[in-house]
Amino acid sequence: MNGVIARAWRGIRENRYLSFVSTGVIAAALALLGVFALGILNMRAVLVAWEHDAHISAYVAKDLPAAEAAALRAKVAALPQVETVTWVSEADARAWLGTQVPELAPSMGELARGTLPASMEITLRSGAVRPEALESFVRTLRGLGPWTEIDYGQEWVARIATFVSMLTVTGSMLGVLIAVAAVFLVANTVHLVVFSRRDELAIMRLVGATDGYILGPFVTEGVLQGLVGGLVALGGLWAVYAGVVARLRDALGPALGHDALRFLPPGWCGALVLGGVLVGGLASYGAVRRFLGSLP
Amino acid sequence: MIRLYQVGKSYGDHEALRDVTLSIDKGEFVYVTGPSGAGKSTLLKLLYGATTPSTGKLLVAGIDIAQLQGGRLPQLRRNVGVVFQDFKLLPRRSVGANVALALEVVGAPAEQIRRRVPAVLNIVGLKAREDALASELSGGEQQRVAIARAIVNDPAVLLADEPTGNLDGAMAVEVMEILQAINLRGTTVLVATHDVGLMDRFPHRRVRFEGGRLAPQAGARGRA
Repeated sequence: MNGVIARAWRGIRENRYLSFVSTGVIAAALALLGVFALGILNMRAVLVAWEHDAHISAYVAKDLPAAEAAALRAKVAALPQVETVTWVSEADARAWLGTQVPELAPSMGELARGTLPASMEITLRSGAVRPEALESFVRTLRGLGPWTEIDYGQEWVARIATFVSMLTVTGSMLGVLIAVAAVFLVANTVHLVVFSRRDELAIMRLVGATDGYILGPFVTEGVLQGLVGGLVALGGLWAVYAGVVARLRDALGPALGHDALRFLPPGWCGALVLGGVLVGGLASYGAVRRFLGSLP
Repeated sequence: MIRLYQVGKSYGDHEALRDVTLSIDKGEFVYVTGPSGAGKSTLLKLLYGATTPSTGKLLVAGIDIAQLQGGRLPQLRRNVGVVFQDFKLLPRRSVGANVALALEVVGAPAEQIRRRVPAVLNIVGLKAREDALASELSGGEQQRVAIARAIVNDPAVLLADEPTGNLDGAMAVEVMEILQAINLRGTTVLVATHDVGLMDRFPHRRVRFEGGRLAPQAGARGRA
């Protein structure tokens, strides 16, 4: 085993430029895949955060007694889909409007009582925000009490849900296409690199080397180049993320949601590096095997 | 050592060798001669397993070339050293590393490689250049490195395909002297050449090919 690694290392040293090119192409292909994964991951996170932020405003009749309002609130809170219920009295609504639109604050007292009705602001658990589940929940809610209006932004929720669904499908398809393109790119580059070392392969075969003896160091070189390429791609992604994307989070974070603009999770990072190792090793194996088949 | 019985080799419609029956004994030195395209290189390719015969039977060091499969090709190549006109060295490796390669592929221990490489380079007169890069050597020196690599595993047969084709007169003579010395140590040597001057200077049995067939005048001439 030490002999194989030593011969692989010698191969890399003797072919520095070609090894650099192979490693660079692997790094570039994986970085491309990583950028795409980072983009999809964060777009999905933003959309899910927006979806999760969807809430229901259920307005109650202005003359609803406080005891009935409290009982109604308890009934709503008991529903399994509900995460939180916040009672917003008319006074709370006035105060909120005053803080949001300060120009109106002086004339707030002139607003007639009942202009801003009391409401319950309901947030739902994540599974209940899907359009069909939301419709079903609102039907249940309507049956509970004397609401004057239930506002749940159904069009907005439906659009986000459709977009998340489209992103998941098209993102997966594009991801597969980019991964396949990256594999072909790496395989062709490795094939060209192996082709440029054809004399070395032919001489080894000529002096009696077995296919296994020839393949060992080449595959090891491919694995090492894939490992380095994967780590370089990951480092590059992290640098881009830390330098550019993190600044975007400072500027747009509140609008994007607190979970948005994350780096790739550890499992994805591992998969990226492992992908480099596999592609490097398998591409080398395939290229050398194919070339050995053509040798006398 | 080498036995051919009615051997033929075709590439598509072209018959490179036809009905060749030939026997070469252990320790013989034989010239394979003839004009370009006569079948000399095809014969050598058959002998080191670069191709297999289309017809007939061919045995080299006890190995049936027609039955070469899987692990038998490396086994044949370890018994048959080959020297080419264009040397086929690794230019960015040292002289010693080029010769050591043939020992490394058979799994020779490091100690044996350290001992054997200088000894073989001594035979070809290049011991002092062991650490030089192959690309820094003259044509004659490169051919001597190729010969050292071909004999470092003590092959039973040494094949040389136009080994002096790229060399001037003095260097060609040096290479022939080395090949002759190797033959005197017991190795069967086949040299494909059309250099009549060298064949006359180092007389050995000649086997002449014409149009893929053994020419009628081919025969034993005895040793020098």
